[in-house]
Formats: sequence, C-alpha cells, structure tokens
Amino acid sequence: MVFSSLYFLFLYLPIVLIAYYITPLKWRNLVLLVFNLIFYAWGEPVYILIMFVSIGIDYTHGMLVDRCKRSGNDRGARMAVASSVIFNLALLFFFKYWDFIAGSLAAVGLNIMPKLGLSLPIGISFYTFQTMSYTIDVYRGDARVQKNIVNFGTFVTLFPQLIAGPIIKYKDLDEQIDFRTHSPEQFASGVQVFVVGLAKKVLLANNLGMLWDAYKALPVEQLTTAGAWLGVAAFSLQLYFDFSGYSDMAVGLGRMLGFEFMRNFDYPYIAKSITEFWRRWHISLGTWFREYMYIPLGGNRVSKPRLFFNLLLVWAATGIWHGASWNFLLWGLYFAALLILEKAFLLKALQKLPALLQHLYTLFLVVVSWAIFAVEDFGHMGGYLKAMFGMAGGGAANDNFLYYLLSYLPMLIISCVACTPLAARLWRRLPERSMRLILPVLLLAGLIFSTAYLVDATYNPFLYFRF
Amino acid sequence: MSKRYCIFITALFCAFIGVFLVANAVSPDREFSQMENRTLAQLPVPSVKTLVNGSFMSDFETYVTDQFVGRDGWIALKSSTERALGKKENNNVYFCDQDTLITRFDEPDGTKVTNNLNYVNKFVENVDIPVYFSLIPTQACIWADRLPAGAPNADQTAILEQAAGATAAQWYDSYSSLFAHKDEDIFYRTDHHWTSLGAYYGYTALCQAMGLTPVPLEQYDKTTVSESFYGTVFSSSGVRWVRPDRIDTYVPEDGITVVSHTYDAKGNPVEEPRQLYDESYLTVKDQYSMFLGGNQSLGVVTNTNNPDAPKLLIIRDSYADSLVPFLTPHFSEIHLIDLRYYKLSVSEYVQRNGIDEALVLYSVPNFTSDSNLVWLK
Repeated sequence: MVFSSLYFLFLYLPIVLIAYYITPLKWRNLVLLVFNLIFYAWGEPVYILIMFVSIGIDYTHGMLVDRCKRSGNDRGARMAVASSVIFNLALLFFFKYWDFIAGSLAAVGLNIMPKLGLSLPIGISFYTFQTMSYTIDVYRGDARVQKNIVNFGTFVTLFPQLIAGPIIKYKDLDEQIDFRTHSPEQFASGVQVFVVGLAKKVLLANNLGMLWDAYKALPVEQLTTAGAWLGVAAFSLQLYFDFSGYSDMAVGLGRMLGFEFMRNFDYPYIAKSITEFWRRWHISLGTWFREYMYIPLGGNRVSKPRLFFNLLLVWAATGIWHGASWNFLLWGLYFAALLILEKAFLLKALQKLPALLQHLYTLFLVVVSWAIFAVEDFGHMGGYLKAMFGMAGGGAANDNFLYYLLSYLPMLIISCVACTPLAARLWRRLPERSMRLILPVLLLAGLIFSTAYLVDATYNPFLYFRF
Repeated sequence: MSKRYCIFITALFCAFIGVFLVANAVSPDREFSQMENRTLAQLPVPSVKTLVNGSFMSDFETYVTDQFVGRDGWIALKSSTERALGKKENNNVYFCDQDTLITRFDEPDGTKVTNNLNYVNKFVENVDIPVYFSLIPTQACIWADRLPAGAPNADQTAILEQAAGATAAQWYDSYSSLFAHKDEDIFYRTDHHWTSLGAYYGYTALCQAMGLTPVPLEQYDKTTVSESFYGTVFSSSGVRWVRPDRIDTYVPEDGITVVSHTYDAKGNPVEEPRQLYDESYLTVKDQYSMFLGGNQSLGVVTNTNNPDAPKLLIIRDSYADSLVPFLTPHFSEIHLIDLRYYKLSVSEYVQRNGIDEALVLYSVPNFTSDSNLVWLK
C-alpha cells in the first residue's frame, strides 16, 4: 500500500486511527501490528511470509545475543550477531541481487547461476537494514533487548516507515515502542508534516515526473542540450519531492500514532559541497552506513590510502543499495570519487570561493549524478550525458524544449523555491494570530488539491520499488 | 499553539478523511460515467486466488478511484488547476486554439505499423476483388496549426507515405482533400472523429479512386441534429471549459435499411435492425453513436433504391460510420466489418456474399495502434 492513494487516505488511515485510539494503551501495539501486516500484505500478499520469518529470526537472535552477553560469553554473542547479519544480507542478496549477478555472469559467458525471476519484496532494503541494526545494537549495548515479540514485530513492520523509510534504528525507537505518550500537540504537528509531504509527492513530484518521462523516452538523436538539462533538472526535483515527501508523510503518520522519527532530508539542494549534500540527503541511510560500516572499518582514524579505500567500499555499497543494476554502482563510485577529492583538498579550496560558486559546484555535480542514477542502460546514459554537454548533435534547443519550459515554468519556479528553507522561514516570522488563521486554509487546500490529483491520477509512480 | 488549537487541527484533519470515508461508503456505486463515457469499476469480490496474486487489491484500488464521491468535480478541479498553472495539456490532450481539444499523437510502434500493412497486403492476395485502402489523418495533423506552439506531435504524413509505398492495395490519398478544407469544420473540436463534412471530403477522395462521380454537397440539405455534443476527447481531457460541438447530417435516410448481425448469449445468430441515424443516441453522452447506432461486429446497409449497384465491404473503425451515408447512392449493399469483434475469415465472407469491392479505412492513430488486423484474412 502506498500513502499517496485514495484508499490509504480515505479508508485505511481513518480505520487505523479509529481502531488505534479506541483500544486501551496496553493493546495498541497489537492493533498496530495487525494493521501493519495488512498494510504490507496489501502490496505483497505472498511475501508477508518473509516478514514473519524475518521477525522471528531477528527476535530470536536479539534474545540470543542478550543471553550470551549476560553469561559473559562474548564469543557466542559475536556469533549470534554474525548469524543475524548473514541471515539479513542473505535475504537481501537472494531477493534483490541474485538475478543481477546471474545476468552479469551470463553476460561474460558464465552461465553458472540460473535466473530466478523473483519480484523484489517491497521495502526489503529498508527492513533488513533496520533489523540488522537491532542485533548489532543489542550487542554493542546501545539498545535493550526486546522480549515481547508483539512489540518487536510492531517495530519491524511499523507501517509509516515500512516501505520507503526513513531507516529507523531500533535504539531510536526502543523506549517509544514500549511506552509512548499521545497528545493533540503531537497529532496536530503530525497532520502538518503529513499534508506537506502529501502535497510534495502528489502535486510537485508527480507533475515534474511527467516532464522527466517525456525526456527520458526521447531517442538520444532528438535530445537537445537545453532539453537534456531540463529533463534531468525535472528528475532532480521529482526525486527530492517524492522521497522527502514520503519521509515527511512517514514522520507525520508516526506522530499521529505517538512516534517520533528522525528527519530524513534537510534541504539537500542548498548544500555547498558534496560532503554537505550527503549530510542533508537521505540522512537515515547515510548515518546507517556510517555507524555500521564506515566506523567499524576504522572511520577517520586510519591512514589516508586506507581511508580512501574505505570510502570507496562504503559508497559502492550505498550505490548498489539503491538497486541491483550497474548504473547504481557507478553512481555510488561517482560520489566516492567526489568525496575523496573533497576530503583530500577540494573542500578547503572550495571554502575560499564565493558562496554562489559553491552552490553551483554542488548542484552541477548532483544533477549530473541523477542522470547516472535515472538512466539504467549504459548506452542511453552515455548518450544522455553527451547531450547534456552538447556532444550528441541534437542542437542547443528546439520548439519542443520551449513548449515544455513554458508549460512547466510556474511548476519549476514553485519547486525551486520549495527546495529552500525560504517558505519555512517566512512562516515562522508570521505573527501567531495570522498563523492560526492561515494554517487550516493551507491544510485544507493541500488535502483538496491532492485529492483532485489522486482522483484523476494518470501518473503516480512508486519510485522505490528498486530499493 | 495552544492545546485547544491543536485539537481543532486534529479534528479538522480527521473530519476531512472521515467525511469521505462515510460518504464513499454510503453513496451508491455508478455503473457508467456519462462524463467520461466509460464503464466504471465495480466492487471486486475477493477469492483466495485473487488475494494471493494481488489482483483483488489492484481491482479494489481502481474501484475506490472510479467510485470516489464527486469524481467528476475532482477531475474538473484538476484540469482547471493544470490550466491555471500554465499547462497546455492534461491526460494527453492538448488545449488548442479555437476551443479545440486534440489528443496528442506520439510516434507509433514501427513494427506494429509494418505488421498491419502486411496484414492488409495478405488480404489483397487472398481476395480477387479490388481493395481500396486509405488512412485518415486526424486533428493533430490537419489542425496542427491550432496546437500550442512547439507541442510535441509525431508526423502522420510520414505514416501516410509509408503506407502508400508499402501497400499492395489501391491506395488513395485522404490527406490532400481534408487539408484543402482545413479551415472548415471537418473535425469535431471535442471528439476524435471527423464530422459529416469531413467525411464528405474523404468520400470525394474515395470517389476519385473508384472512378465514381461524387454527389455535389449542394444537392443535400444540411440538417443539424445536435448542438450539445461533447465527445471522447472532452471526456478524457477532464477539460470542462470548452463549448459543445454540433452534429450535422446530409444524406436522407429514405430507402436505406441497416441490419446488425450479432450472436445471442447461446451463440445463435441474431439480426438486429438499426438506422443510418439513430437519434435516440442524441439524449446520451456518446452522441456520435447516432451514426449507424455505434459499434457493431458486422453491419449491412442496404439501399433499396438501387438494387443493381455493386456491393462494397468496408474493413472499418468508427470513422466509417459517418462516411457510409455518402456512399449509399453508389452501392446496393455496404457491409461493415469491425475486426475488434469479427474473428471469422473475411475473404470467405467476400466470396459468400458476392462482394464487388473492398475498402480498408482507418484513422492513422487507430491503424498504428490496432492489434486486431491479424484477423484480416
């Protein structure tokens, strides 16, 4: 089930809220667990079994780690952590990467793995990472063991963040799972964040996505330089509003149910360096890789060559996490190279430049990266990049470009402004009286327009089916 | 923000989603949308199989969207918002000059075009009567000057040239006679079909190919049968701000009978009488169906005034329905086959019914996207 749909908004959500709030506190996790499972089974009726297996195995591993630690058996505890990590990675590997590796081997003449043709269980990259972090944190002493399987299952399947993140670590939710408070203040702030996220996804992202799709579908010969940039700029905006919209909706829904999730995006397109961009983009993924891969590999406290090698490893993993395809690996390595350069000397040099140039440097490199991210086929990707740099022979611009630019101009301007903290700053400077008057109007407008666009939805993609 | 205000915001949101939860639950489901001119999805019944393969869920999602309370209003709100935001198209329909809505024509699938042309060629081989063939260019081609500036629009004339070059049938050119009259009302502004006037110019092109003398238009009295026609493009566009179309007819119905051949539920052949102009369709949304009563698998139009004239077979799409009236003076019988429904051998049909001439006539978008020409054998 996805949030940006009529049956979620006007059927599932009201029923969940009613059921949740009429249930006594003691039983709320059980109610939530049942609805979480319905939410997941709605899109993946068969793969719900993987979910059960995953809950069972990670729950047992957590208990095992805890018991070994208590009895001073560190070796046993380590074995249990290793076993949990192996299980989760195996699950991810089997469903997500098997066919990719089989296909890649077959392409070089090694027909040693049969293709399975399994569809990817939605959200598997998110929930395997979450459960993996659980056993590791129990071992590290960062999280308490969860003895109640209903509570543990509620954490793993928690529907607001189940299929598109943010990647919530158990230690961050630990106390909230067992005991959380509910207040109108928290609910009302959840409503605001949710409606903002819904509008970002339905009104901005879906609209800009149509522009990107028009350019993505064009044969390279017909791509002009200006058109190629317009297309990839539209994708940059689409992905940001789609992804951050989903995260906002998750945070909002979480608050409505008494949970507080971490912020996943912090105006990434205003970053002044690639290093800063990654502190602002998909924060929960970045911190996950830092805590469970980069730091265990030695973090910053290693020799320069080792540091660069570690960065390469972490970013190769980050890239391929986004999808089982070579372009995602290339995309990860592209950022590894930039981050290594920035760590080596570039960041210091950049800081001496005017702020505007720092912004342009970052935006340019990020937008180019999205062309690698969005075009899977290497031949097409190469052609698209060539067109962006005027080397594809399609000319600088044409009538179609002007048509698209003009008809999307208001949308593009709104979107660019929405990428900055400008609106939020202005909002906070309003006197409380005006805020109280305007807020309900904005909320209703967001809900009404989003509903209209969902009723007549010709285009409402779910972008994370590869994750 | 005070606690009371937060309760108000919470209540506002819950009321919004709650109102539609209740309204959707109590409002009766509609079978058919007049506005969109299509049947709407009905509540699916779950079974173990559809629950496991997920088709129940996707059917249910379509059902919720199709039956959403106030659907027509929401659609109009969206298209108006798009226009206010400077968009020049909605749901693949361009907002054009002169109150015209034109469906976007994208580059068709090249293999499908080649295949369909080959099916026509095979048909020419299989029958020993002359086969005439033409494709009708649509608004996106003839009225390209009404499109928004720079709007992407695939070239239909290239397909006409390809068809003219590749076909073994007797190709004739509909484009030139339509284009010569492009400033007249030869197409509907809100529907994808040509008007009776457009069909007349198509008819003159066909007459030239067949060596017939067309009846001059002045000999007919024009009858306006409707001034409130909103067509299929209007339906799919969501646009609600254009004025309606007019439907005219020219050829009188005297002495013309129409019979539609279908099968009943048990598979027995049934003959259903129809009319050249069925005015009962003027009271429903899909007024174009007044021509020959809309889609049919096989129809026979007989002109009792000239029983000795030849018999024509048309392999058709719905554009033929408004062309047929003009052809009645030249033929004793006009047989119409729609390959979407007729799956028997057409060449046998030609032999059995003593057909003298055949015509394959489609609009460019229909011909380049149709998957049923494989049945033309």
